[in-house]
Amino acid sequence: MKSEESVTKETVERLCAQAELALAPERRTRLVPMLAGLIGAANELSRKMAAAAHRSILPILRFPER
Amino acid sequence: MAQGNLLDLTIIEAAAQLERRRLSPVELTEAMLQRIGNVDKQIRAYITVCDEQAREVAGATERMIRAGYYLGPLHGIPVALKDNIYTRGVRTTAGSKILADFIPTEDATVAARLKRAGAIIVGKTNMHEFAWGGTTDNPHHGTCRNPWNPERFPAGSSGGSGAAVAARTCLGALGTDTGGSIRLPSSVNGIVGIRPTIGRVSNYNVVPLAWTMDTVSPMTRTVEDCVVMFEAIAGYDPFDEHSAHAPVADYRAELPRPVRGLRVGLVRDYSLTHVQKAVGDAVRAALKRLEELGAQVEEIAMPSIHGNISAQLTIESCEPSAYHQQWLRTRAADYGEDVRTLLELGEMYLATHYIQAQRYRSLLRKEFLEGFKRVDVFLTPTLPFTATPCGATEVVIEGNRKEDMLSAIMQFTGVPSLAGLPALSLPIGFDPDGLPVGMQVIGRPFDEGTLFRVGHAYQQATDWHTRSPRL
Repeated sequence: MKSEESVTKETVERLCAQAELALAPERRTRLVPMLAGLIGAANELSRKMAAAAHRSILPILRFPER
Repeated sequence: MAQGNLLDLTIIEAAAQLERRRLSPVELTEAMLQRIGNVDKQIRAYITVCDEQAREVAGATERMIRAGYYLGPLHGIPVALKDNIYTRGVRTTAGSKILADFIPTEDATVAARLKRAGAIIVGKTNMHEFAWGGTTDNPHHGTCRNPWNPERFPAGSSGGSGAAVAARTCLGALGTDTGGSIRLPSSVNGIVGIRPTIGRVSNYNVVPLAWTMDTVSPMTRTVEDCVVMFEAIAGYDPFDEHSAHAPVADYRAELPRPVRGLRVGLVRDYSLTHVQKAVGDAVRAALKRLEELGAQVEEIAMPSIHGNISAQLTIESCEPSAYHQQWLRTRAADYGEDVRTLLELGEMYLATHYIQAQRYRSLLRKEFLEGFKRVDVFLTPTLPFTATPCGATEVVIEGNRKEDMLSAIMQFTGVPSLAGLPALSLPIGFDPDGLPVGMQVIGRPFDEGTLFRVGHAYQQATDWHTRSPRL
């Protein structure tokens, strides 16, 4: 399923509930298309990073000095 | 000296006169404060003007220099600080309503180091609210405008610092850069700005945007001025746990070294791709000039470079939302609409998205470090377009297709931010509407010196940096 289809008003409602973030219904509705775009791109990056060639790569939170 | 002449002085030129006592720090500071009074209603580069404190410090500086205590090239130089940098006793709003009344009881390390070097702070500059955006269209403190054309944006998030320097209201300023917030306004305002290697300059007491990507650094009219400010603030800080012990070089001494033999890299299908024509033309002309100076250009493939915008958006969404988590639940109405929306969106990513984006940074860095075995620097435009109209949320880069501004603006500056590399933006020309074009030079970790050397050599051979906006 594509992100554009999978991110719905209900998805946003569920995520808000999980995060204990109270948003008015009109705000939740407004977020749907924006979130769909962002999550679609993030999923694409996740697929890229899940490739076998990249399995040994660690997340970087702090860069080495050299 | 006539006021017009004072406004055009670079830090290096002013310092030479201050040291010889041919120029008074009081006279120079008054000229800047008067200039702010004359032009800032139009460009709104400042949130707070520190006129009283600046006059007091200028008077003390004058007495000190007269008594024979000259501290160095920043002594008596009027500078401005982005308003997310703590200044003791002076409100620090981060461009927000939430921190509108916040008066720090201590300085940021960078503010303290500039003061120790003798700089005079004339004001705190306008910025995109909490640095989360690239336009400096600030709903709480006014829309900042581009001195080259006040109908156009100054970019951001350090738009006030960029506009303040370009408008000759200070000789240099500090900005902060997470995904491009120093380099973008440097480019569209026709000035120089550097993003340092993460850890090179302390972030202590600077309001964060995204902890793993934030940096602080100078914005000036010339590379040499940038070096003077950079040398004053760079180096280990025990108060910042990400601060690096890497030694700080004598960058000014290295500036005159020629660039003959320097290897310049272009990333294939990226460095000169998807840019406005005027931007592409200016970068090609700058490359040609560097080749005339003896640099060798090589094209390098970097298969993972596409994906950078998603990685940047993911990290820059999640980390600010963590920092703002409680305020978003208790003071949501106090945010501007764009920042509030971005903070809400940042709560809705999966942890796996964030982790994959952080893994992507490792991959990108690895490819750059491999590339640096063949070249000394990489070049790109700083951003793919010139200054857009104030308030625009979309931009046309090629053909008639409108693109989302936030994603388009990150096309080139996000890459070194993600890879933890230093990057310098410098002016390389103007588009047919007279708007500045900037070029980004990306270097090896902790090799800011080479970036300064390339930028300085280019400025010695061109005069783009000497032009000033008519305000």
